[in-house]
Amino acid sequence: MFYKLLIVVFLAVSLQGAPADGQKKKETLLSEKVSQMMEWTSKRAVIRLNGEKFRRLIRAPPRNYSVIIMFTALQPQRQCGVCKQADEEYQILANSWRYSNAFTNRIFFAMVDFDEGSDVFQMLNMNSAPTFINFPAKGKPKRADTYELQVRGFAAEQLARWVADRTDVHIRVIRPPNYAGPLMLGLLLAFIGSLAYVRRNNLEFLFNKNVWAFSALCFVLIMTSGQMWNHIRGPPYAHKNPNTGQVSYIHGSSQAQFVAETHIVLLFSILHCSRISHTAQLHTE
Amino acid sequence: ASVSGFLSLLSFTILFLAWLAGFSSRLFAVIRFESIIHEFDPWFNYRSTHHLSTNGFYEFLNWFDERAWYPLGRIVGGTVYPGLMVTAGLIHYILNLLHVTVHIRDVCVFLAPVFSGLTAVSTFLLTRELWNQGAGLLAACFIAIVPGYISRSVAGSFDNEGIAIFALQFTYYLWVKSVKTGSVFWTIGCCLSYFYMVSAWGGYVFIINLIPLHVFVLLLMQRFSRRLYIAYSTFYIVGLVLSMQIPFVGFQPIRTSEHMAAAGVFALLQAYAFLQYLKDRLTRQEFQTLFFLGVSLAAGVVFLTLTKPSLPPLLRYAKIHIPIIASVSEHQPTTWVSFFFDLHILVCTFPAGLWFCIKNINDERVFVALYAISAVYFAGVMVRLMLTLTPVVCMLSAIAFSSVFEHYLGDDMKRENPIKQHPFYPVKNSSVYSKLIVTMLMLMLLMMFAVHCTWVTSNAYSSPSVVLASYNHDGSRNILDDFREAYYWLRQNTDEHARVMSWWDYGYQIAGMANRTTLVDNNTWNNSHIALVGKAMSSNESAAYEIMKSLDVDYVLIIFGGVIGYSGDDINKFLWMVRIAEGEHPKDIRESDYFTPQGEFRVDKAGSPTLLNCLMYKMSYYRFGEMQLDFRTPPGFDRTRNAEIGNKDIRLKHLEEAFTSEHWLVRIYRVKKQENRQALDHKLRNIAAKQKYTSKKVLPSRFH
Repeated sequence: MFYKLLIVVFLAVSLQGAPADGQKKKETLLSEKVSQMMEWTSKRAVIRLNGEKFRRLIRAPPRNYSVIIMFTALQPQRQCGVCKQADEEYQILANSWRYSNAFTNRIFFAMVDFDEGSDVFQMLNMNSAPTFINFPAKGKPKRADTYELQVRGFAAEQLARWVADRTDVHIRVIRPPNYAGPLMLGLLLAFIGSLAYVRRNNLEFLFNKNVWAFSALCFVLIMTSGQMWNHIRGPPYAHKNPNTGQVSYIHGSSQAQFVAETHIVLLFSILHCSRISHTAQLHTE
Repeated sequence: ASVSGFLSLLSFTILFLAWLAGFSSRLFAVIRFESIIHEFDPWFNYRSTHHLSTNGFYEFLNWFDERAWYPLGRIVGGTVYPGLMVTAGLIHYILNLLHVTVHIRDVCVFLAPVFSGLTAVSTFLLTRELWNQGAGLLAACFIAIVPGYISRSVAGSFDNEGIAIFALQFTYYLWVKSVKTGSVFWTIGCCLSYFYMVSAWGGYVFIINLIPLHVFVLLLMQRFSRRLYIAYSTFYIVGLVLSMQIPFVGFQPIRTSEHMAAAGVFALLQAYAFLQYLKDRLTRQEFQTLFFLGVSLAAGVVFLTLTKPSLPPLLRYAKIHIPIIASVSEHQPTTWVSFFFDLHILVCTFPAGLWFCIKNINDERVFVALYAISAVYFAGVMVRLMLTLTPVVCMLSAIAFSSVFEHYLGDDMKRENPIKQHPFYPVKNSSVYSKLIVTMLMLMLLMMFAVHCTWVTSNAYSSPSVVLASYNHDGSRNILDDFREAYYWLRQNTDEHARVMSWWDYGYQIAGMANRTTLVDNNTWNNSHIALVGKAMSSNESAAYEIMKSLDVDYVLIIFGGVIGYSGDDINKFLWMVRIAEGEHPKDIRESDYFTPQGEFRVDKAGSPTLLNCLMYKMSYYRFGEMQLDFRTPPGFDRTRNAEIGNKDIRLKHLEEAFTSEHWLVRIYRVKKQENRQALDHKLRNIAAKQKYTSKKVLPSRFH
């Protein structure tokens, strides 16, 4: 009787272990995945994935974290300018998340480059880059989990809004301070200061009208040839027709312009002004 | 003695001819169509002027308009620049006093051309102060016909800029005069002119920043003088007090950052004058000048960092973050084509004039150089500000042309200083032939300029946009008067207190021509109200009906261009409605719902179902599916989008069609009142037969 009881107790203990064992295995696998993702994130805010990593970490369950993935093509031969700009904004977003106080292991940022993981592109039937997709913790990505790049643009703030919409995780986008501007200003002031100190006895050069007139003229000519439009809209230098191979330096429509066009106009303006000022200058001097 | 008399007669004649040329070239629209107020904003100005002329000045100043922005209303007296209305009202009053009975509408239509002549005269005065009489006359002729100014001052364009440019030039002339003479008389004249400018246009901020900048640069250049001190101190104080009399401006001049530069320079000037006074009393050495320079530079840097960045960067911020501002096409940067189109050869010649001004610098030429540089920057950033560049371009190119003509047409014998021999460019006295050729070339340039200006005015800037015209192959004209047809239908066939819902573009026109209460109009001061209207237009009919009930809407007005191919209709503007609505109601409206899965905006069968069922789509294409425009295209072919519409069988439940204009351009729908008894859908009327439940239990038999 005692031996029977012992066998029953032994069986009960061992049997209880078996289903719990499966559960424990799942948990350990999940925590392994999470810790691996955290480790990669600590090295680099945006995790680079290839096909195998993608299948293991994103496709295969279990998963209690959501992953935002940017599918892009950054290799130079792909010639995707938008991908590079979107990549910069994405890095800013991922870094803002990584160094924020609210950083948890609920959401990760990753990227798949076409040349490293083309099988992933094929698997998801994707043929345009860049694309941002949110893989939620539960279930498959829906239509709203694909970020509408054409509509919203790729600014980090817009991406953060979309991430907050889909995953309820609010990321405050912090852009690294741009030191280029203040640095240039500082250099310019130092240059002016040193010039003033060196020529402190003779400040005549400040009163040289030619210098002022020339700089005023340069500024005006630059503005009227449309450089501000170039600065704001960033057009290409010229356009090469892909079918005929012909290069056109002048834009067809009057609502837009090429950089080459503005240079031509600038040249003409300079020629015209210098002619007029030269002829009449001989009189007024 | 007769020479000066002849000269003044000539000047007078030329100025009169310039006035006449400017007036006549702005009359294309009136001759081709009729004397009518153009576009959108002028309709509001006309309505306010009408209110002023019928009810009096104080009624206008205290006017609360309950027929706009229903149910909020609009405080017109405090949110408008009254100069334009008061000017038109005053002219109307004086003319009627003299028993010249002119209708207020005609005064409004012809005000801008008349003031263009005055602008020419004030430009003449200003340029004469800067250079000489010949340059002044040239400048007057240029500004009378230059397209950059005409675009905002054609007959019928009853808008602030028409009188504001005159006020601007006149204020600048009086400022230059007061700096030259240092008399308080001219400065007070300048202040009064500045007061007129503040009442006329929001662009007075340009003056109140340019004049302090001028004073500051003069201080930097060590051109401080008693005249400057008197001129600016008087101008700042009296101008400040006068500008605050306008209700719309109120206390802004002492609070906002755009006005702080003027205050800063005022303080700096007082400090500088005080130090100068001390310097006269005590003996100091030469490096005192450096000390002054250093102090003023330091103070200038401090003031510049305290004041926030100026207008265009602010506008760019607003453009990125506020969809309404971004949607206006005039707030885009300028291509070189716009510069050339609006200014022709003047834009190439005015840098030469700038060069001459700087080479022969004096106090007032510093002013015009600063004006040119700041205006050219602003014009490069925003197309609309091309208007502020136009006067200075006219002045400086007049100076350039005048110098050239003086050189080549002047009499060599009578020249005061003979041509010096330049060390590098050996100069011989120009022979008669070269003079002739150069003069002929210059005259040809000027003639081409005049031809270009007239052509541009006639083709580009003379459309009333309330009346459309199309030209057939043989040159005959078709007039499309749908807008006025619809507005007059509204005026004559609806109740006086009816409320009309439409997109904000047409609010002023509905209020002006149809005289009905509107929900939103071009003032766009309340973004949430506009978003509500946008939400109603983009939701399906039932959801929209709820919104329309809550806003007491009686009629809905939309513009539909599918029959004639008009591209400015509401379906083309629809995405802006969605975006603005999404800004306020992101949970209900999503822009992506209105696109196909591929991201296209299509109105045919492949279009998104949300789009095909929204109220705007239904109202635009109601009954359009039965209409076949010509044999080559199927019925329901939208000419503007070049597509056959997807949803041809449209039924409206809560609206009914009230009016469609001749070419289907304007469509008006009446909002039906809710019925007393709600008719139930057929589905809900069926009463499902209740399942009879029979218990399968059998009574236990105890009697086995």
